[in-house]
Amino acid sequence: MTLGESVTGKGGGEPRGDGPVMGSPDHILIVDDDPDICKLISNYLAKQGFRVSIANDGRGLRGVLDRSHIDLIVLDLMLPGEDGLVLCRNLRSRSNIPVIILSARGEEMDRIIGLEMGADDYLGKPFHPRELLARVKSVLRRARTLPGGAVDPEDLGVYHFSGWSLDGPSRQLFSPEGELVTLSGSEFQLLMIFVSHPNRVLSRDQLLDLSHGREIEPFDRTIDMQVSRLRRRLRDDPRNPALIKTVRSAGYVFSARVEHKAAPPQE
Amino acid sequence: MASDSERITVSIDKDLEDIAPGYLENRRKDLELLPQALEKADYATLRVLGHRMKGSGAGYGFNLITEIGRAIEEGAKSEDAAAIRNAIDNLGNYLERVELVYE
Repeated sequence: MTLGESVTGKGGGEPRGDGPVMGSPDHILIVDDDPDICKLISNYLAKQGFRVSIANDGRGLRGVLDRSHIDLIVLDLMLPGEDGLVLCRNLRSRSNIPVIILSARGEEMDRIIGLEMGADDYLGKPFHPRELLARVKSVLRRARTLPGGAVDPEDLGVYHFSGWSLDGPSRQLFSPEGELVTLSGSEFQLLMIFVSHPNRVLSRDQLLDLSHGREIEPFDRTIDMQVSRLRRRLRDDPRNPALIKTVRSAGYVFSARVEHKAAPPQE
Repeated sequence: MASDSERITVSIDKDLEDIAPGYLENRRKDLELLPQALEKADYATLRVLGHRMKGSGAGYGFNLITEIGRAIEEGAKSEDAAAIRNAIDNLGNYLERVELVYE
């Protein structure tokens, strides 16, 4: 398989299983320099009805992103040239395309750093392609799901707090200076939970349940890492946070006066 | 490990039927590259080849290839030529005897 090659599910795009079923197939970009891994993933996902492209390094990744709409990126950490973590961080600074990190290094620190760099999930090599498929579906679902459970879809609108504005429908966060701050899907979801439950202590379990995180990553520190990333986005000093405060042995509280303007009714 | 004359039957996911034989073919190519790299004490190449085998083998259903890859990668890190030679022998032995069943 060569760089940038696309593979689409067989049968005229008719998917198998419960992969993408409506409209055009979800487009997955695999970034890995190992041809056997690329073939394993692309073959498996294409059979499930996904459209798949491949890049072997950071340059290839940027090339595909310039040319195509990508719904999710599967990103290896050990790449020639730019490291996968650097690519993940750069990607996150300009896009909220969901990212699943793959790595054969198998070190917990890689997993933690990967999630802190903005990845939506992490899978160690070797992996069964069926597990990757389950995670791809789960991350795509989470990226698309309105924060139901956390927020009634009818409540989506614009939330204002401490000078910040979070626009639910467009999933955009604006700083007090009016600058757009890019959030990953999981960061957006967590912030929506906080702004819709202000000044109320939320346990890690509650946050996991509300963000549907439990189904994709039963990793105790997931919420702590996401909170840490969100604090950075909100410029909240982690040693003395003003917005997302840690409540010892209890969880977190979003400490701000939140004003909510409901979205206008749809025609 | 089974004795040298026994076949090793490996169950492979039916969805991988069209790519699993090609994966083993690539490992047979590795079987030519690995001794050459060892001969030249090219531990960087050995490490990459071992790392890739470790990361891909079990994904295709070949758990032993993952284990052999891990041994080659570790051997390359510590520049342990004897351990690498042993792992290459194990790979050759495995590739001669492996038999695929698709389920």
